[in-house]
Amino acid sequence: MDFILAGFFEAIRLLLGGDAQTWSAVAATLKASTGSMAVSLVLGIPLGFVLGYVDFPGRRQTRLLVDTALALPTVFIGLVVYAFISNRGPLGGLGLLFTLRGIVVGQTILALPVVIALSAAAVENMDRHLRTLLITLGASRRQLLFSSLWEVRFGLLAAGLAAYGRVMTEVGISMMVGGNIKWHTRTITTAIALETGKGMFATGIALGLVLIAIAFMVNVSLSFLRKR
Amino acid sequence: MRSPIYQIDHLVHRYHGQPVLDIDQLLIQPATIMGLAGPNGSGKSTLLKLMAFIMRPDEGQIYFDGVPALPFGSVVRFQVTLLTQEPYLMKRSVFNNIAYGLRVRGQGEDTAGRIHEALEMVGLDPERFSGRQWSELSGGEAQRVALAARLVLKPRVLLLDEPTASVDAVSSELIRTASLRARQEWGTTLVIASHDREWLYDVCDEVIQLFKGRMTGTGRTNMIFGPWQEGGDGGFHKRLGDGRRLIVPAPPHAEAIAFIDPAAFRILDSPADPVAEHEACIDGTITRLSLERHSGRLYADVRAGSMTLVVCVEAAHVAAMTLHRGWPVRLAYRPERVQWH
Repeated sequence: MDFILAGFFEAIRLLLGGDAQTWSAVAATLKASTGSMAVSLVLGIPLGFVLGYVDFPGRRQTRLLVDTALALPTVFIGLVVYAFISNRGPLGGLGLLFTLRGIVVGQTILALPVVIALSAAAVENMDRHLRTLLITLGASRRQLLFSSLWEVRFGLLAAGLAAYGRVMTEVGISMMVGGNIKWHTRTITTAIALETGKGMFATGIALGLVLIAIAFMVNVSLSFLRKR
Repeated sequence: MRSPIYQIDHLVHRYHGQPVLDIDQLLIQPATIMGLAGPNGSGKSTLLKLMAFIMRPDEGQIYFDGVPALPFGSVVRFQVTLLTQEPYLMKRSVFNNIAYGLRVRGQGEDTAGRIHEALEMVGLDPERFSGRQWSELSGGEAQRVALAARLVLKPRVLLLDEPTASVDAVSSELIRTASLRARQEWGTTLVIASHDREWLYDVCDEVIQLFKGRMTGTGRTNMIFGPWQEGGDGGFHKRLGDGRRLIVPAPPHAEAIAFIDPAAFRILDSPADPVAEHEACIDGTITRLSLERHSGRLYADVRAGSMTLVVCVEAAHVAAMTLHRGWPVRLAYRPERVQWH
């Protein structure tokens, strides 16, 4: 029990004391997750809207594929992305291996199905009267799209939060694609794995608490927005 | 004569391949009130949605102001609005719900004043209701806010799909009054679908009967569902309870629906009067007398067993004032005047 308690105090010391390594990992985590979430939301919400709203041929099969992608293991995504962006891979020339941009690519593949599937579910559950209401009040096609998205904003928020949770806590992609390079691609989760491997439980727990604190702050901010 | 605001030609619409609406032609003049009557599934709501340009018909054409119109078309987008049966509002405040239509039209001037006026029209105190959220309203209040969101637009056409079916009596009366004010004040054309036939016949310039997606006529009619039973004498009838029978000619099939024109019935001066040859008769009690506003005709609702028949009252009876609610009457009619669908 002592080492858990020590971990808690170590977390406070690392954060308040401005430990450079800890803050480097925090910064790497925030950069990678922000990048991947931005791409996932920009691509995922419109795709989720189309999947939930438009009755196109092959819709059910597409839905099945997206739902299956929800269960993709992070190490498998890491493996595939590694294969593509390594020097021998088709995208090797882009120089993404062992970079934060490489991690962003992998985390986007992880988060995108979550955003698409949950956005589609939110749109599917949208009241069938909404379309009638918006058209009858004079909405154009574009206004119909944006007003419908605004009506399901809480569902979209939940989709974003769920995806963010997966991205923040994944370790497989960051480890395989990022390489866990100190001061460069070491994220909080890969740092925890490393510190635990070295027997530095206190530091591992401290970093875990930092991760939880970030997640808590994100949720508090979104909860505030929701109330508005 | 002015050109019609709506001209509907050879309109066919299907759900899952099954035709639900088949209208050869329908004309609606501007600033009139048209009623749509008919049982559930007769196509009233589908017709209103097509007239609101929410969906496009499978076949045929709807002309608006003489121009072929389609959903999102610039000709109709800001002209026509529809109020549906279920009170549905967006997840925002009353003010923002009513302001939405003004915003999409780019009409930002004096929004607060116009919303204030619209809320007063539907009998809601603007001070109390403007700031409320959609979730803080009762069903009747929500439907009145929904109507205010249409009235604030001062539409050229207001389509009402059973607007009072889900609300209490007070809200119902306020919705009816506010709808009629739209025509009085702005010359709005109203098309109203309702099961409340007394309301329809009271306010409408014309009432169209719809049945299984087809127009079966205008004005009042008696629509009588089976089952039809064969009598011992080879004739057919429907049992109405209390020993009463409605005698009809042979129906084309077991599920056929009989239509009888209210003018086909003749109220006998005295129940003891003999009926003419080939006439059948049925006894009942007058439950209501109503005046059709635009035609000036008087109609009587006659309760016969489990059914209420609408009967056109002849001028002689009106002059003699021999009919009152609760009076027993005998109706005579010729069974061959029954029409089948």
